Amino acid sequence: MGMTGKERLTALLSGKEVDRIPVLSVCQYVTYGLMEKTGAYWPEAHYDGEKMARLSAGGAEILHLDAVRVPYCQTVEAEIYGSAIKDGGRTHLPSIAKPAFSLGEEPRIPENFTAKGRIPAVLDAIRRLKQTVGAETLVMGSLVGPFSVAANIIGVSALLKASLRKPEQLVPYFEAAEKTAEQYAQAIIDAGADAIVIEDMMASLDMISPKTYRVMAAPYEKQLIDFIGGRVPVIIHICGKLDQVMKDVAATGAAAISVESAVDIPAAKEEFRQAGITTPILGAVHPIDVLLEGSREDVREAVQQSVAAGVDAISPDCAIAPDTPLENLLELTKAAAELDL
Amino acid sequence: MADKDILSELKQSILDFDEDAALELAQESLAQGIDPVEAVGVLADGLNELGVKFERMEVFLPEIMLASDAFKNALSVLEPEIKKKNTEGKKAIPIVIGTVQGDIHQVGKDMVATFLATAGFEVYDLGVDVAPSRFLEEAKRLGAKVIAAASLMSTTRPVQKDLIDFLEAKGVRDQFIVLVGGGVVTQEWADQIAADGYGQDAIATVNLAKRLLHVA
Repeated sequence: MGMTGKERLTALLSGKEVDRIPVLSVCQYVTYGLMEKTGAYWPEAHYDGEKMARLSAGGAEILHLDAVRVPYCQTVEAEIYGSAIKDGGRTHLPSIAKPAFSLGEEPRIPENFTAKGRIPAVLDAIRRLKQTVGAETLVMGSLVGPFSVAANIIGVSALLKASLRKPEQLVPYFEAAEKTAEQYAQAIIDAGADAIVIEDMMASLDMISPKTYRVMAAPYEKQLIDFIGGRVPVIIHICGKLDQVMKDVAATGAAAISVESAVDIPAAKEEFRQAGITTPILGAVHPIDVLLEGSREDVREAVQQSVAAGVDAISPDCAIAPDTPLENLLELTKAAAELDL
Repeated sequence: MADKDILSELKQSILDFDEDAALELAQESLAQGIDPVEAVGVLADGLNELGVKFERMEVFLPEIMLASDAFKNALSVLEPEIKKKNTEGKKAIPIVIGTVQGDIHQVGKDMVATFLATAGFEVYDLGVDVAPSRFLEEAKRLGAKVIAAASLMSTTRPVQKDLIDFLEAKGVRDQFIVLVGGGVVTQEWADQIAADGYGQDAIATVNLAKRLLHVA
């Protein structure tokens, strides 16, 4: 008898042996097909804990992933700070319409942060997922990293420009975002999640320099992970070609690092080996080239390539496009399950 | 010669992403009687040089954004002069450009808009989060035959298809040349949704627009 998905990922995240390579989607995995199969649809599933749980549970019940996660978008925190959110309707994710603050304004931390906005629905969904699929599947609560929350509350352009010109002006936003991330993480742990995903998509080298990552993103990621303190394992996800900062990402103390296929994974593994770093690397199947546009054969090949490159678990590079064909996602789990380690 | 100095300084203002210097030097170049097209040329050289460094991961997006601001500053002075000259010749071709609905990424789209403008197109930038219906309305209103739609997220790329489907549904698809681009867009995707062209970057998009519109 093999391990359950939960046992498998728990083992991986605590440095133990696994029976086969785990497969999950660290970032959002909802597709139109999954909505049809579960009968839970966007946009309602962003606001309603029961629908959110039902749709996410499809990750286990239909896609056979080793983990499920909530929520789907990256706007939950920013909305509570007062950023205007544009609803994505049935087909798209909510996005930031207007950031809450202008650079220089004091970032007020909303009181009772975790009782506001969509956080109660996310927490409700976590509790439900623990009941429905949690016995065999890892239930992950996902929050947005402090650097990226700051980008969502003052605007990406303003943040990026200030990161060169007026970095000191950004510190209050990072500090506020880190504090509220601690509160949110605590609530996710209290709701019973088995793991936390930190998505810090803006802390990518597609966006900022390695120096900016080290000074403005990594310290707050680390502070948040220190706060979580190993009570649940943390998977950190950062997009883009991270080669120059992989060791810095590992130094945040995350239990695993989720990366894109843009990263030279064999080089990162070798760098880790030499430095005595054992942090697993998760990835790296391209959500567009392979999962959206590829054939099932392409998916199978990408899974094999990822394993050959040295990933410790199979995961798409980042969020899955909602029009991704279901059969490709099914192939992802099937191909991983059939691999001999 | 003074000419050469000011042009190299102008380029340097881009490499230093110095908005103020770019503006002052653009004014200075006009005062010295330098051809504004030549001035835009060196600014573009500066951006291209930074672009190469960006590819090599020697500079990063914030530098490119600030350089792009510096470029726009200089262009605000140079472009009216170029237009004066252009109107002496034939009329510029209008193009509407925007980032698709649900997507607020601005930088890449801005860069393409800027390059199209400097190449002599009359560019109407609809901004970000642009609905298919708005692309059509504005293109009609402005008499633009070209619609350029950017998507920078895997989750918003389907909206490029929505745009084309919308034009089809309205029965006006054949009246517009639809160009698609953005970080998540590929030639394959452009083919799949039957877009008229795929611009991999700003310069490729300019060349593509020129080719499709039969302007040299």
